[in-house]
Amino acid sequence: MARSEIVALILAGGQGSRLGVLTKYLAKPAVPFGSRYRIIDFALSNCANSGLETVGVLTQYQPLALNTYIGNGHPWDLDRNKGGTYILPPYQSSERSDWYKGTANAIFQNVEFIEDQDPRYVLILSGDHIYKMDYAGMLKTHIEQKADATIAVFEVPWEEASRFGIMNTDKQGRIVEFEEKPEKPRSNLASMGIYIFNWPVLRAELSCDEEDAHSDHDFGKNIIPKMLSADMRLIAYHFTGYWKDVGTIGSLWEANMDLLDRPEAINLRDRNWRIYSRNPVKPAHYIADSARVVNSAMTDGCNVSGQVEHSVLFNSVTVEKGAVVRDSILMPGVRVEAGARLNKCIVSFGTIIGKNVKAGADVEGECRYSNTRFCQDGITVFERGLKIRDGAVVPGNCMVEFLEPDTIVEAHFRV
Amino acid sequence: MFINAMGLILADHKRIQLGELSRPRALAAIPFAGRYRIIDFMLSNMVNSGITCVGVLAQQKYKSLMDHLGTGSSWDLDRKKQGLSLLPPYINSLNLDSSDNDNLSGLLDFIRANRFRNVVIANSNVIFNATLNDYVSRHEDSGADISVLFNRDGFKSGPPAIMLGMDRKGSIKDVMINPHKPVSNRRSAGVVILSREILIDLLNDNAARGDSDFSVESLLRRYMELRICGIEYKGTLLRINDIPTYFSSTMSLLEEKTRRELFWAGLPVYTKVKDEAPALYGPLNQVSNSFISDGCVINGSLADSMVFRGVTISAHAKVSNSIIMQDVYISEGVELDHVILDKNCVIRPGIKLVGQKDFPVVIGKGAIV
Repeated sequence: MARSEIVALILAGGQGSRLGVLTKYLAKPAVPFGSRYRIIDFALSNCANSGLETVGVLTQYQPLALNTYIGNGHPWDLDRNKGGTYILPPYQSSERSDWYKGTANAIFQNVEFIEDQDPRYVLILSGDHIYKMDYAGMLKTHIEQKADATIAVFEVPWEEASRFGIMNTDKQGRIVEFEEKPEKPRSNLASMGIYIFNWPVLRAELSCDEEDAHSDHDFGKNIIPKMLSADMRLIAYHFTGYWKDVGTIGSLWEANMDLLDRPEAINLRDRNWRIYSRNPVKPAHYIADSARVVNSAMTDGCNVSGQVEHSVLFNSVTVEKGAVVRDSILMPGVRVEAGARLNKCIVSFGTIIGKNVKAGADVEGECRYSNTRFCQDGITVFERGLKIRDGAVVPGNCMVEFLEPDTIVEAHFRV
Repeated sequence: MFINAMGLILADHKRIQLGELSRPRALAAIPFAGRYRIIDFMLSNMVNSGITCVGVLAQQKYKSLMDHLGTGSSWDLDRKKQGLSLLPPYINSLNLDSSDNDNLSGLLDFIRANRFRNVVIANSNVIFNATLNDYVSRHEDSGADISVLFNRDGFKSGPPAIMLGMDRKGSIKDVMINPHKPVSNRRSAGVVILSREILIDLLNDNAARGDSDFSVESLLRRYMELRICGIEYKGTLLRINDIPTYFSSTMSLLEEKTRRELFWAGLPVYTKVKDEAPALYGPLNQVSNSFISDGCVINGSLADSMVFRGVTISAHAKVSNSIIMQDVYISEGVELDHVILDKNCVIRPGIKLVGQKDFPVVIGKGAIV
């Protein structure tokens, strides 16, 4: 096979358990984001826009939606004769059959795939961050600095630094120390989980790590510290721009709202760096006479007759006359029936909010679906394919899923 | 789903011109309904019927059509076997210097090379959303040489109106263009079905006579020698014959019934994907009864209008009863009523443009007003 300079591997196997019912049937990278995208569109589009030709996507948890979504990579121009998109699930072989045990082990299990591509460099990405980044620029730094590995870092506010993996660097940008969630951080450079390795170096490190029975087989916890202790040349690549980990209900909601409150931060309208996505094939959206839409984003196939304020609507959402939707995220195919009021709600695929339902942050109290572990600040989440009973009242901080028909949930259907 | 037919779309029509809108492009490539070109509807009808081989006969100004169709991948027509073929005039060393371009040789080659039993030929001025399988079966069952789809619109939507006189068995006995005294309200929908064999004979016949005119109408005119039958199309069908009908057809999409039948009857309408950002509504807008596409930024007021992809409507602008095509920029304080703006127009601050329902103001591609 023809040699590729660099191969990208996107770690897309994680469950994203903190997203609760949103990731019940699909992996976190396949979660809808920003009216017409899925989270993984950002990593895939960055790859395409950076000129990468070979992208492997490592899947494990609930891969159906993600596999179907990525397909042959056509929407991202990654359907190639040379290179292209490869879905890489865990597999059985005559010697072993294993799930991916950690980020490093996932790559280790695909050594043969990488060997076939015969690259000089390997780019490791995670499929669950929202950002635009030119990986070609990072590769240039990596080559110029003659690094063994280059790690993208992002300046986080000092007070938040103790929540991240922090890189301490010298004046030349060489990483001297890595601290996972330090109590007293000495730098505010957080690792973004984006790595470029020289392939021979990585291959050796992965084999070595695999032998170590005590290892968690994780890049951040094992591979990077070990390379540092072996005095290898690890370089920090400074990223400036919008970057958001959308691993929690709160951060997913915030990142969506960022598109409305400061659209220039990630600028989805940049025609030199488009974010591609699979198209739903729906007509332009329709705003009726009775509608009022302010500070909102929406896309093809929506049909709005009610009031939509400060909300993100995905394709084919219907908001009926007299319904009021505020500070909410309505995923593809959701229907909000007449007179319903939603406030700070995230509603997953195809769920029908019945007539005169009142749900979200401005409803006080608790119910069987209250879930303050995942839902805070009044955000209420609805599982996909629910029919919420007409007139139901759902308080904030709820995670509504189908258990059995009750006073809130009327039925559950396949979407 | 399985259908033994190939498709042929005629991208131009001699009798149909849309002024500024058709100046830079073929009729088939005129933008329509927010995110489509006219041809998308017929192409999607064919693809939704299971047709895997479609020729697009283009006579002139086909650059925009080529850009739009590309390899045909948006319609799943990028295939090893058959797929989409653009059939431009056939220029060879014999007619290189003459104005007499051979329009039919390429077409004949295309029809000969693809062995399907039937050919569905469609004009580019009709818009409907339906599968064609049932009509092809009815054509085969009837034993007719040619079947033509018609509806009962009569003179509605203006000339050119091809009116059909039919006997009780449904055979065409008369074909008239814009007759003063129509014999019925049956009007050709510009879609015919015939066997590939008969089409090859007719094309050879045309070529032998030096007749390079190939159109649905030229086929219908043969009603004396061939058995041509009418099949009624009962669904919603829009015709685009000139600027006023382009305007009224677009506006009819704002009616729920038309919208439902054209877009939400279960058959997708495919088009080239642009990967625009989602449409963004600002704090001050006022939008009613309008279609808006991806990539738009809406800060002004908008009523009873069709807005294509990537349009900006600035604060304090007022747009009503208008069609705003791709990437138009409407500055602050602009007022537009009954206006059609072609792609890439820029309207400077404070400009007012007012047309009338039957005479909308049309501004050509890329104008700065």
